[in-house]
Amino acid sequence: MKTALITGITGQDGAYLAKFLLGKGYRVYGIHRKLSSTNLWRLNYLQINDKVKLLTGDILDPFSIFHAIEKSKPDEIYNFAAQSFVGTSFKEPSNTLMVTGLSPIYILQSILKINKKIKFYQASSSEMFGFERTNKKNEKTSFSPASSYAIAKTTAHFSTKMYRNTYNIFAVSGILFNHESPIRGLEFVTRKISNEVAKISFGLSNKVELGNLNAQRDWGYANDYIIGIWKMMQRKNADDFVLATGETHSVKEFAELACKIAGISTKCIISKKENLRLSDVKHLQGDSSKARKTLNWKPKISFKQLVKMMVEEDLKRWELHLKGESFPWDVIPNQKIK
Amino acid sequence: MKKQKSALITGITGQDGAYLANFLLKKNYRVFGTFRRISSPNFWRLLSLNIGDKIELIPADLIDDSSLKEAVRISDPDEVYHLAAQSYVGTSFDQPITSGEFSGLAVARMLESVRQYNPKIKFYQASSSEMYGNVKSYPQNEMTVFSPQSPYASAKVYGYHLTKIYRDGYGMFACNGILFNHESPLRGLEFVSRKITNAVAKIALGLQKSLYLGNLSAKRDWGFASEYVECMWKMLQQKKSDDYVIATGEAHTVQEFVERAFEYVDLDWKKHVKTDKKLFRILEVDILQGDSSKAQKKLNWKPKTTFDDLVKIMMESDLKRWKDFQNGNIFPWDALSSIDEHKIFTRST
Repeated sequence: MKTALITGITGQDGAYLAKFLLGKGYRVYGIHRKLSSTNLWRLNYLQINDKVKLLTGDILDPFSIFHAIEKSKPDEIYNFAAQSFVGTSFKEPSNTLMVTGLSPIYILQSILKINKKIKFYQASSSEMFGFERTNKKNEKTSFSPASSYAIAKTTAHFSTKMYRNTYNIFAVSGILFNHESPIRGLEFVTRKISNEVAKISFGLSNKVELGNLNAQRDWGYANDYIIGIWKMMQRKNADDFVLATGETHSVKEFAELACKIAGISTKCIISKKENLRLSDVKHLQGDSSKARKTLNWKPKISFKQLVKMMVEEDLKRWELHLKGESFPWDVIPNQKIK
Repeated sequence: MKKQKSALITGITGQDGAYLANFLLKKNYRVFGTFRRISSPNFWRLLSLNIGDKIELIPADLIDDSSLKEAVRISDPDEVYHLAAQSYVGTSFDQPITSGEFSGLAVARMLESVRQYNPKIKFYQASSSEMYGNVKSYPQNEMTVFSPQSPYASAKVYGYHLTKIYRDGYGMFACNGILFNHESPLRGLEFVSRKITNAVAKIALGLQKSLYLGNLSAKRDWGFASEYVECMWKMLQQKKSDDYVIATGEAHTVQEFVERAFEYVDLDWKKHVKTDKKLFRILEVDILQGDSSKAQKKLNWKPKTTFDDLVKIMMESDLKRWKDFQNGNIFPWDALSSIDEHKIFTRST
């Protein structure tokens, strides 16, 4: 039986990967932060809360990471933990750099000391391309990060590469373009749209306040991408791969399609200045031909299916909620956030 | 007309932060709170007090200096209540570095952020009875020497001294509230009091069989959190800043807490409670009992809720939650998305 250790198991990708690996017969450990409120709704939602084993730890506490690796004796480590929201990275640049940027170094240093055979996956991000103008970005495209988040991810990416080349560790980076799902966090634009649109259709809200409606992203389904991640770890040699659909759509398209699916007017879509990023990345489109060829991977869910899946799930949740049923969920009434 | 006062609370998503926010709103404060952006929302306490839409939230992280400065600038407060911390003793053994960061060093970041922005802002530091650790004398008061027994406690001692240093060195109005254990229905599930009441409620409803605990003979001075937050505010309304112990003056063992909780549902605790070596602390603190006579005199305060009342309040609430849940009602709550503690590995495992 193989063992995997996932950092960031409480997040979207961590939860999906945990479920996927459990299905493959893995023993799954996850590192989780002790917080004053429980944050395990995704594991509950996927009904794997009693199947994963959690270790208390924090990326900022390298000894707790070392201990978690020593304790779980993993064959594979998946590093998903990060301050993962670009918007927050403008408000908390040093926190983002510490958490998102340094984590691979802590983990890879532990791997060196504990067992050099442990495989390591780093969650790299298409945000690393940032201002880079190349139309379809692949593994050869250079990085031009446009946020503290992207700078931190670039640091992490190069650290991973360095340990692979210098210490001969099986360390790979998956450069993932946007990947969404019904368990995406509410601060991300896709889920923000699907949740608000669902509320509007039940008369609980009347507008979707967004930022730059023209920003173009390459949007895939997170659960498809998890398979690509796992495949990268099963190869003979460690390498980096771009995972993307190759298609781009604007935020506006996403929002309009969501309205259509929910059967509401698109007039509720509003762009607000305060929601604009300080420096915005206008266009991100990936070229995942290397992964398609080498890993025999391709995304199954189309853009339309993705939007539909997200809107339908949020519609269902609000309906259940209004019927008085309780279930694992993250939605809360609006907060005034400065 | 008097200008509306404003307060900034760090740790507003925790037990004390939520109660304090509620209290200050009633006093007509404008209330700002910092919160960490995490992948799952953690506002259930604010929602259960119905103040989710009355407070203003600012994203910030104790490890990020600039975000704290920004929080002080945005809120431009009269009073800062620094409650945010890595607040669980057990975890501090697993994470000594982050506990030092969040519970210790962060106090320096907050004090500096306040001092640089406006040194006239009043500052409250959440000090803890854990700082007394294994002191042999009790009850413990403001003169008792500290003897911390955990990374958490030693970080809190650092924060305590730093607060005094800013008071004496820079003339800031900075107070330490040395609070003994204070519990409530909003306590986190990892704390022994709430862990007991949540489990006993489930046992009573047939949803759980056993309750695993660590040291049953540890003695604590247990008060009701919603009363204690009032003292925090009172400290900042005095002419001069000072340090105060807040406590009931009575100590009871964990076993007594267990007994009261099971009595509430008419069950024999011995049939359900098991001790687990894994749940003992690496260094135990045997007894914490506070002497709050200074606060009682100067702040004109005294504890109202007795130990028995406290257990009753918490039992009532957890029983009601599980019953409401079984009846299909929805309400803000933490227990539903928690996880079996035995699935969580700690250093003492």
